[in-house]
Amino acid sequence: MCASVKYNIRGPALIPRMKTKHRLYYITLFSVVLLGLIATGVFQFWPHSIESSSDWAVEKRSVHDVPVVKLPADSPIPERGDLSCRMHTCFDVYRCGFNPKNKIKVYIYSLKKYVDDFEVPVSNTISREYNELLTAISDSDFYTDDINRACLFVPSIDVLNQKTLRIKETAQALAQLARWDRGTNQLLFNMLPGEPPDYNTALDVPRDRALLAGGGFSTWTYRQGYDVSIPVYSSLSAEVDLPERGPGPRRYFLLSSQMALHPEYRSDLEALQAKHGESVLVLEKCTNLSEGVLSTRKRCHKDQVFDYPQVLQEASFCVVLRGARLGQAALSDVLQAGCVPVIIADSYVLPFSEVLDWKRASVVIPEEKMREMYSVLRSIPQRQIEEMQRQARWFWEAYFQSMKSIAMATLQIINDRIYPYAAISYEEWNDPPAVKWSSVSNPLFLPLIPPQSQGFTAIVLTYDRVESLFRVITEVSKVPSLSKLLVVWNNQNKNPPEDSLWPKIRVPLKVVRTAENKLSNRFFPYDEIETEAVLAIDDDIIMLTADELQFGYEMRKLRLKQGKQLARGPAAHQRPPASQVWREFPDRLVGYPGRLHLWDHEMSKWKYESEWTNEVSMVLTGVAFYHKYFNYLYTYKMPGDIKNWVDAHMNCEDIAMNFLVANVTGKAVIKVTPRKKFKCPECTAIDGLSLDQTHMVERSECINKFASVFGTMPLKVVEHRADPVLYKDDFPEKLKSFPNIGSL
Amino acid sequence: MQSRRRKYLWPILSAFWLLLVLLGAPRLQQLAIPPGLRPKTLTSWPRWLDQELLPSFVGPEELSKDPCPPSCSTHEWRSQKLGCLMETCFDTSRCQSQGFKVFVYPIGPTQPISEVHHKVLASIEGSRYHTVNPEEACLFVLPGDALGPQLLPLWNGGQNHLIFHLHPGSWLDLGFDPGQAMMARANPTPETFRLGFDVSLPFFPQSYPQRGGSQSQLVHLIPTWRRPVGLRHVGSGSSNQWDQNAILIPSDRHGETSKGRRDRPCKQDHTTEQSEDQKRLYNSTFCFIPPNCRLGSFHLLQALKAGCIPVLLSRGWEPPFSEVIDWGTSAIVIDERHLHQLKSALQGLPPARVLALRQQTQFLWDAYFSSVEKIVYTTLEIVRDRIFRAASRPWLLWNAPPGGLLALPTFSTHLADFPFYYQRHGSRPSGRFSALIWVGSLDQPPMKLIQEVAGSQHCAQILVLWSNESPPPAQGKWPQTTVPLIVIEGKKKKSDRFFPYSTISTDAILSLDARSSLSTSEVDFAFVVWLSFPERIVGFQTRSHFWDETNGSWDYTDQRPNEFSVVLTAAAFYHRYYHNLFTHSLPAPLRDLVDELSACEDILMNFLVAEVTKLPPIKVPQRKQLQEVPSPQHPRAEQQLKNCVNRFASWFGRMPLVHSQLRLDPVLFKDQVSVLRKKYRHLERL
Repeated sequence: MCASVKYNIRGPALIPRMKTKHRLYYITLFSVVLLGLIATGVFQFWPHSIESSSDWAVEKRSVHDVPVVKLPADSPIPERGDLSCRMHTCFDVYRCGFNPKNKIKVYIYSLKKYVDDFEVPVSNTISREYNELLTAISDSDFYTDDINRACLFVPSIDVLNQKTLRIKETAQALAQLARWDRGTNQLLFNMLPGEPPDYNTALDVPRDRALLAGGGFSTWTYRQGYDVSIPVYSSLSAEVDLPERGPGPRRYFLLSSQMALHPEYRSDLEALQAKHGESVLVLEKCTNLSEGVLSTRKRCHKDQVFDYPQVLQEASFCVVLRGARLGQAALSDVLQAGCVPVIIADSYVLPFSEVLDWKRASVVIPEEKMREMYSVLRSIPQRQIEEMQRQARWFWEAYFQSMKSIAMATLQIINDRIYPYAAISYEEWNDPPAVKWSSVSNPLFLPLIPPQSQGFTAIVLTYDRVESLFRVITEVSKVPSLSKLLVVWNNQNKNPPEDSLWPKIRVPLKVVRTAENKLSNRFFPYDEIETEAVLAIDDDIIMLTADELQFGYEMRKLRLKQGKQLARGPAAHQRPPASQVWREFPDRLVGYPGRLHLWDHEMSKWKYESEWTNEVSMVLTGVAFYHKYFNYLYTYKMPGDIKNWVDAHMNCEDIAMNFLVANVTGKAVIKVTPRKKFKCPECTAIDGLSLDQTHMVERSECINKFASVFGTMPLKVVEHRADPVLYKDDFPEKLKSFPNIGSL
Repeated sequence: MQSRRRKYLWPILSAFWLLLVLLGAPRLQQLAIPPGLRPKTLTSWPRWLDQELLPSFVGPEELSKDPCPPSCSTHEWRSQKLGCLMETCFDTSRCQSQGFKVFVYPIGPTQPISEVHHKVLASIEGSRYHTVNPEEACLFVLPGDALGPQLLPLWNGGQNHLIFHLHPGSWLDLGFDPGQAMMARANPTPETFRLGFDVSLPFFPQSYPQRGGSQSQLVHLIPTWRRPVGLRHVGSGSSNQWDQNAILIPSDRHGETSKGRRDRPCKQDHTTEQSEDQKRLYNSTFCFIPPNCRLGSFHLLQALKAGCIPVLLSRGWEPPFSEVIDWGTSAIVIDERHLHQLKSALQGLPPARVLALRQQTQFLWDAYFSSVEKIVYTTLEIVRDRIFRAASRPWLLWNAPPGGLLALPTFSTHLADFPFYYQRHGSRPSGRFSALIWVGSLDQPPMKLIQEVAGSQHCAQILVLWSNESPPPAQGKWPQTTVPLIVIEGKKKKSDRFFPYSTISTDAILSLDARSSLSTSEVDFAFVVWLSFPERIVGFQTRSHFWDETNGSWDYTDQRPNEFSVVLTAAAFYHRYYHNLFTHSLPAPLRDLVDELSACEDILMNFLVAEVTKLPPIKVPQRKQLQEVPSPQHPRAEQQLKNCVNRFASWFGRMPLVHSQLRLDPVLFKDQVSVLRKKYRHLERL
């Protein structure tokens, strides 16, 4: 109401002005704007449609609308496949250039319909599967639409099934591709090669140097390291959803489900069935199925009808015999069912055999040995059968399941050949996710006792307790194996004492000044560390004797004597005989005070324990030996935000280190020498603080926090510690190598 | 009315302006940027409107019918004979009855063969594979320089024959047709190499050690991180070829094309290569192995030995034993046409990978290449794995310590059965043990010991190995135990102790003498320790070996209590796999030696385990230290032990035993706390 009143008041005053020249003005303005709008609109869409019409990459189109190309009868035909081709002779790697990501670029030719002089099509334009395959490549990181930057070229001419195409004309179509160049760097996918009656094991289309990803290679047609052997895709993969079947006994031991077997093979199988009864089942095609039932989805034995492929899940082993072709789609069905394939096809190159370890998922039986197959299979222990079943299922999930997985595996294999130094490892190809998760591969796996002569580098982290620091330096320098001392000066507000004030010691002493007062500075992989062994030590640990430290690293008194022996001993026995705790366990944290983590059932969380316990799962890094590689891991590979968390809380860097080492090595710590109360001048470190209740709570918090970041509890609990051989034995003290151990 | 129209006009006008700005601005912006710099959208493979309607590449019926022509029957297929495969050119039926036995043709004095071939034949003759009876042989071996193999009586077209061809360029390469015989060839070329049938060997000089060989001598596992990687060109003599801070690319130096390089001799005599060159190898992180020259694979061995990561070219040759060794885990392989990328490729390697590669080189060297014997055995084991495909080694057995020669597939092909792969497999040893008590000729039935051992919560079964002259006590005479007690009648041989009895059902074995004296808590603690170190021997009483300078031989003593290298098997835990290894991998003469002499079986077992693990055994505390089995004190017995150590050392080709100076005690052992807090308090009572 109010508004309208206002308008009514203001209105009459304006109307007279509108009426005359302003109307014209408004109309002009209006039309200018409108024109501009139309122009923009045209401008916006017009050039685009021009650009893309040449490339017909407009999204929605029908396959029937693709351009037609007429192939003259006399257009060139490529040479037949060159059997001597190898990557270094027939493949042009220069096209792949340098790529920092070590990833090849793949170009797909646009789809055309090829006809001969009489307008008769050369082949089906494209099959559903080949379209899926090309779509997958196009969606992947390998794809490029720039023909000049591509390393590998995939023709869109569909040669998956040799039966659906005319050989000569298809070859002519290949030869006229823009970058054909004798087939160099061209990749063809074929799953069903050969024709009756001989059924060649590789595609018969002349293809010169082109790489062939083929589904039925024999050793004689397969160009090792050049071609790629791929599976024959089974459309049941997409149609039938078979959930993975858990371990446990299955109804049949051995099953054969293929329909068109050679009579000789079938009689062999039936003989097995007659001999072993219930545990062997040989199925065949159903003869009296009612209308509307897909015969491919049923199998029969006598009058019994079985669902296919579900019946495969009922068997431990499933026979995959060669038919006319070596490659059988049944292999894919069998793997999907988690049944271990028994492959009977001499000279067959198994799918992706270049990278997949088929020994883990299948049994290969020579055709001649078919009759003995039962006893061979029976000799495999049940535990191994279950692992093979899991492996078979994993192969299907990763490499057989869809045209996409087949395409990606093929491209990855070629990629690995071009950049072999960046190739995917055996474990990555073959280990199922569950194994990858549960297995630990120790980064220091070589059982090597580092030579004694190397010694260790001591790293002292200090802030400003100079007096105590100097005492530690003096004490540590008494240890014979010390080769260098590194002081990490963590105080930015104060300069370290002048050179003249430092204690005079026999080994090089180096002071490193840090940019920030962080606890992680202790674990930085400083260039100055030249030994494998590192001794981390706090600036207030002075209660350890030199004997104890030396024992933590190695032996002292025998050294000279044995050194002499060595010099004169036979050359083959050069490894120093003396070895001590860290040198015997170079992949572990070797420390003095031990700690334990416990599960608190009441609170259902982890708890930190420093009391007198019979077990140890951590050692404090206030004084501990470890391999310098762990410094690198701590600084660059610590999972999650643990490193920042430690720096922010100024606590638990030792627990973090214990977690890290236990997680990558899967091994427990080694606690050295008996328990003793750690006495320190200012009593702020380790035990002094540990007694504080809040400190214990905080340490427990650390354990819970780290366990959740790691997703598991990597710490290992052990009940032993390392002492010198004669520790507390009834033996004269002066004859012991390390008499001064455990005294307070 | 007018006012109403004007009221609408303004908003409409402004709306149009807004549209104009919104639509026009990006377009103008686009025009302002030169076409070359514009971000390009990828033209991807089209999504066809009718893609769901496309036909499948094969009809469902067609795929499952796949009519099998007559030609697919076995016999037809076989007659095609396109090339040699194990299935077509090897008669595996010869190997079924007697197992994998190897026959070596006797070489008469009329046949001069080279020293290398002599070493090869000697290795086979001293091995467990060897047989003198050609009837039971599965494989026939002959040296590459034996003349006229076709004339041999058992040649049979070369079937089941293996020719060691160690001199590339000899007459064998001049058009000799091996027929169905396998060729174990040094440096094979792809043209002559029959994949899956021939075996690729490394080339090694005449002076190569017969057995043992020098151990890996890597000093630093980690190269210093920050320094640029060093690449060493192996086989170049003069020192100026080596630049610490640069990558040496061979084409820079030779200036020749890859084609001309094939026949170029790399360096004529490498046996004289001296320590200067060797030292530089040890200081390098990467070693470039020149391809295609005769000595390429010898350079590879040198690099492996020095812990220098080999840089191989992917073209042109089969690396040694490439059938089983995954060279990608120990070498950098690069296409020679990508050599200009080598520097950045090497610098881009993460430190973890460099560390793993370096360790793997050392492992490979020690496991397969350090002696003629290892090279020959590896060749034979590869052939064996092909014949017994169902019982062949998985990948990890070949490619992880201790390696394929020490991990026997006849024992198991499952990772969790071996003591070495628990971590990789993500499993752990079973938490029980079997006690195996040896009752010798002078021993009484160990009733008290059985009771103590059976008292352990971890004990699964007790086996009594009765090697006494008198018959074992009747069933009812044995003490009542909660665990099964089985008496095995032994053959009264010392080596029986380490026979892989099928009745042993656990991973851990507690080996005991009837005279040993152990308490339950000692057994419990030792077993808990063993669970942490399943690949080692964990025991109580120790001995030590040392080098006797005056006599220039090894000696053996119990008088060096500060250190030890042998744990007596009179009371020790170890994995049952070692029984298998002891019985099946050691040659019969060595086991016979143990049967003849007393108290040598412990030493041999310790040698074997140390050879496998490269680590010392583990000592745990024992309450009664001084009541050991009385060791032979008279000089003859001592001499005998010393003799054993020396004979074993010469058979192994080196001294595998490693010293240790530590003992693993319970965490609170002899600490000044209340005994009641201690779990293993009985260990401390005297």
